[in-house]
Amino acid sequence: MSTILEQKCPCCGGAVEFNTDAQRLKCPYCDTEFDITAMPEDTSNQVEQINWNSQGAQWSAGETDGMSVYACNSCGGEIVADTTTGATTCPYCGNQVVMKGQFSGALKPDLVIPFKLDKKAAKEALKKHISTKKFVPKSFLTDNRLEEIKGVYVPHWLFTCDAVGNATYKAKKVKTWSDENYEYTETSYFDVYRSGNIGFDNIPVDGSTKMPDDLMESVEPFDLSQAVDFNTAYLAGYLADKYDVTAEESMPRANERIRQSIIDSFKETVKGYDEVENQGANMNVANGIYKYALYPVWLLNTKWNGENFTFAMNGQTGKFVGNIPTDKKAVTKASLLLGAGIGAVIYGLMWLIELL
Amino acid sequence: MTKKIFAIIIATLICAQFVFSASAYTQQYVIDYADKLASSEIEELDLFAEKLESAYGVTVLFCITEGTGDVTADEFASETYSDYADNENGLIIVHDDWNKAYSSFISGNADEVFSDAAVDSMIDAYDTNESYYGGIYACYELAEEYLENGYSGGYVNDSEPLNNDTDTIGEEKDGVSIIWLPVSLLIGLLVGFLIINGIASKNTSVKMQENATVYTRPGSMVITGSADNFLYNNVERREKPKQTEKN
Repeated sequence: MSTILEQKCPCCGGAVEFNTDAQRLKCPYCDTEFDITAMPEDTSNQVEQINWNSQGAQWSAGETDGMSVYACNSCGGEIVADTTTGATTCPYCGNQVVMKGQFSGALKPDLVIPFKLDKKAAKEALKKHISTKKFVPKSFLTDNRLEEIKGVYVPHWLFTCDAVGNATYKAKKVKTWSDENYEYTETSYFDVYRSGNIGFDNIPVDGSTKMPDDLMESVEPFDLSQAVDFNTAYLAGYLADKYDVTAEESMPRANERIRQSIIDSFKETVKGYDEVENQGANMNVANGIYKYALYPVWLLNTKWNGENFTFAMNGQTGKFVGNIPTDKKAVTKASLLLGAGIGAVIYGLMWLIELL
Repeated sequence: MTKKIFAIIIATLICAQFVFSASAYTQQYVIDYADKLASSEIEELDLFAEKLESAYGVTVLFCITEGTGDVTADEFASETYSDYADNENGLIIVHDDWNKAYSSFISGNADEVFSDAAVDSMIDAYDTNESYYGGIYACYELAEEYLENGYSGGYVNDSEPLNNDTDTIGEEKDGVSIIWLPVSLLIGLLVGFLIINGIASKNTSVKMQENATVYTRPGSMVITGSADNFLYNNVERREKPKQTEKN
């Protein structure tokens, strides 16, 4: 039979903790500090009568919005998750669970790209990512803690279409020549127009508001040829969310990327000019279809100086991204040192040439 | 790492080229206030004069002007020499093209080589040539002859003995001016700042994609309409610096 000793605050009854800074006991609830000697003796041998009374607290209206409660099939524990969670881990027994209702019927993804890389690869990629960067604060290298690493199937909308568009450009040609007395520069201006069709296959747009869009677009591209028909079995051991951004809401982002692609691709056909500048573009989309797919992404959260840093790795290709803080002092120091070195070399070479 | 080292070397070479191109043409020996010479001609004559200065330690300047302003011709020659020559030992010949007059100024120990007769013969060589460039070139050739003979002792001046003391004329060059040190450092700092910030910017790898060209269906792009319409053109004309024949 185990016994439990719990030091309680004489003021509020809360469980007190030993504070390493103050070297005293401190109540985290009312901030009262006590000397260890001032606390009552161990009363574990005393008989304690405990009456549990319900406070009668109830969820108020709207408080449970965005939350769902599931029962773990293995241990019966209650799993509280938000309404978009499709796969998670039971906090009591660690059993991987999938919320089948999140991916059934109209919510069923068309495709899923299974994870090709495991957690170990993600950790190694993080180490490599950080170690190859320059001017990272030393304390970041030593003190940043990997708080969380999770494999997540991120919902994406994949847009396929034939785009019909046109774009106009202002182009410039510069010609120079000279005669006996003068040098001439002729600058000719042109209005260039291009129209045509381009087909696009499976442009992905992040369908989850939880995932930063820039992070998800940074780990692109995924190889969709390795995608398979969706099956919940692929989700075992990973987290998964159902989409909370609809396909209609994702279309503007797809259109934006298609429009820029038309401008860039048509510009490649404008040749023979010295300068080409886009003036505008129009486009229409035909034969547009979209699919719903889950893409594998490893998310790694680290903490440093109270700030969270999120890294992402493409769970299929291993492409790793994530912003790393820069040591501005080190940058300044290196700039000065390198600059002084280059300056000295230049001056030295000048001397050398002068002496030669 | 190799790429970074390569980038640093390239940047250094670019800087060096920039500075050298600036430093290689610092001293002006032919001063063309009258705009009678093409820039290429001035450059060529400057190289000739620079060669003389390197070999003999004597600066030989030549100035073409349209009048001397409020000062006398001799004062003008003296002031121009002070303005353009760093060397204590040297000579300047000034041609006032407007007044068809010549003046000269000899500084330091250069008078041990260039006597009045020598200067007159150099002016004659210039005056009898058809072009300004050719005249100055002939003048410099004569100056070279005087300097060479002066050193070998073969040249006999009209009245004055030669002094072959290399401590005065023909002294060692001072090397690169200290003024280029801060200039070099400034350029180095600028390049260093650009390189280091370029490296540091790679710590940021999260960004939105600009387009979707990676998802373009292969071979699907078809251009159905194309027009290149000429709008207008501008022609700018700039007069070339040219070699002018003497009147």
